[in-house]
Amino acid sequence: MTDSTNAVFSCADVHIWVGEKEVVKGVDLTVMPGEIHAIMGPNGSGKSTLANGLMGHPLYTVEGRLTLAGEDVSALSADEKARKGMFLAFQYPVAIPGVTVASFLRAAVSARRGAEVPIRDFRKELLARMADLDMDTAFAGRYLNDGFSGGEKKRVEILQMLMLQPRFALLDETDSGLDIDALKVVSKGINAASTPEVGMVLVTHYQRLLNYVRPHVVHVFMDGRIVRSGGPELALELEERGYDWLEPAAAAGGA
Amino acid sequence: MSAQPNPTLSVALEHVEELARGLGESGDALALRERARDLVTPLVLPDRARHLWRYTNPERFVPVADPTVLAPVAIAHEWPREDDLAAAALIAGGALRMVEIDDTARRAGVVIEDLHRAATDGLLGSLVPPEHGFAEAINTAAWHGGVLVRVPAGVELEHPIRVRCVASAEPVSVPRVLVVAGAGSAFELVEGHVGGGVPALVLGVTEIAVGPDARVRYSLVQRWDAGVTGHLTARARLERGAHFQMSLASFGGSLYKADVGAVLAGEGAQAEMFGVSMGGEKQHMDHHTEHLHEARKTHSNLDFKVALTGAARSAYTGMIRIAHDAGGSEAYQVNRNLLLSEDARAESIPELEILTDDVRCSHGATVAPLDEEQVFYLKSRGLPHFQAMRLIVYGFLGQTLQRLPATTRERIEALVASRLHEE
Repeated sequence: MTDSTNAVFSCADVHIWVGEKEVVKGVDLTVMPGEIHAIMGPNGSGKSTLANGLMGHPLYTVEGRLTLAGEDVSALSADEKARKGMFLAFQYPVAIPGVTVASFLRAAVSARRGAEVPIRDFRKELLARMADLDMDTAFAGRYLNDGFSGGEKKRVEILQMLMLQPRFALLDETDSGLDIDALKVVSKGINAASTPEVGMVLVTHYQRLLNYVRPHVVHVFMDGRIVRSGGPELALELEERGYDWLEPAAAAGGA
Repeated sequence: MSAQPNPTLSVALEHVEELARGLGESGDALALRERARDLVTPLVLPDRARHLWRYTNPERFVPVADPTVLAPVAIAHEWPREDDLAAAALIAGGALRMVEIDDTARRAGVVIEDLHRAATDGLLGSLVPPEHGFAEAINTAAWHGGVLVRVPAGVELEHPIRVRCVASAEPVSVPRVLVVAGAGSAFELVEGHVGGGVPALVLGVTEIAVGPDARVRYSLVQRWDAGVTGHLTARARLERGAHFQMSLASFGGSLYKADVGAVLAGEGAQAEMFGVSMGGEKQHMDHHTEHLHEARKTHSNLDFKVALTGAARSAYTGMIRIAHDAGGSEAYQVNRNLLLSEDARAESIPELEILTDDVRCSHGATVAPLDEEQVFYLKSRGLPHFQAMRLIVYGFLGQTLQRLPATTRERIEALVASRLHEE
């Protein structure tokens, strides 16, 4: 096992229940600063539940120990974790009608930094990050995710990540629903956020995103567990062979 | 189920004549008061099976003391007015206490005067007649403390007119407002209801006559202290080509019933109504809106939002009636309710009476709890639960607030903020 003392994020023996159903059945993960991990798995394997559960979704029951930059955050709420530098890019971001992207982000950035950000400085920073993501400045005044296309929502998720500057980011299916141009822009944003201090986990079904964002570690996730971990070559192997060849391993790892 | 006169409930209106004489009113005014008094003597309360009173007990609005007894009350009411106003009037302690008109408005012929002595050309009691209901009849028989606002034809006012009604230590407040907008006039009027103190009862009536092609923006802002029971009725009558925008903001009191609306009497008249209400603790809010399309090519649009915390209750009934000969008209109505606590309850009932085929009409109503996914999304960005909720409420109400005149909007936003901070 990796020594998790300096890890930006680690979790040990995480189980997640949705109602009565155990969906995540014991996950250990250690992400070091500067590392990008990919968690790949078939639909329904529980990878989105893992991402949402780690962040603190109110409908999930989570057991296990979570640390963020060495601090035990197992008992913290989603907002406390977020202020300490944890971030989740949602697969399906919800709309908040009546709340503009700019006003929401200013509140969020102020909460993350622990101090009100002056409006001029904020505006300047926001417009610069939007330009990085090839976004029309009009987005700042639109209601958050309200009537956005799938691709627009994903860009706004990445915009939020760039503005909030997390220590550890979970990206849940950020590549889904993107055309190739949008995928390139979103990848550029992910690479920009991936500094030597930051750890990231990309949750994805396809290898596609990994052509643009190179992971250090690839985990295969099936039936609520990590069944295999390896280097980037594992992603290519999955692309070629699919997930079926790993089924027996998943079964063997079962209780 | 029919209403029976309740022997234990009656309203004493013993001194109508002395009241009218003491206030220096005309004979016509006294006749109106007597007609109103006779309608509620004996008092027959409305049938609770009818929509208008299904959710709210009318008995709560019956005064226990005789409101025709003039008992002048000394009042000390601070009214800091920071913004530029065309005119201001203060009704408190049962009388019109203060009138201010700026020079521009005065030179243009704007009149703000004591309604008891004003010439009203028969308009008083014509838009809200005593037959409207028992609360309106009691007001009509007993009102004291009233103001006439008259803006002559063609006069456009840059700054708003403000009328403030203070519910004070007297057992019953019966304020009355009459607004006359001349043809082609354009102005904004904000009617604010504040105050409270002892368990106070307010029965208020406002009538607004909007002349041809006039453009009137009217706000009814209710922010009484806790403990006040109140019933406010406001009706506008729109002549040909008139444009009336009403903003409704309901925040205060313990039990509040509002009955507001517009009669679109002239061809091409337009009425818009944008409203927000926030209730908390055990507040009970009951809003009835009415848009009566009586002429061709009239247009009404209503957007009313309600957010409730604690064990607050809201009932909304919205009537749209389009007369047989009001073809080419359009009417739209949306009422949305956001429940921020498990104990809050809201009802929403649209009522449509459409007597012609040549119309476009739609209505929508929703009652929904706070969306947990929205809360989680905002919390995952670092916003504490309270702040996440506040942002969602601002967003919910905000789309409606955006449509209010700037002066009113700022005040209402401040009320929303303070309401949310209380919780």
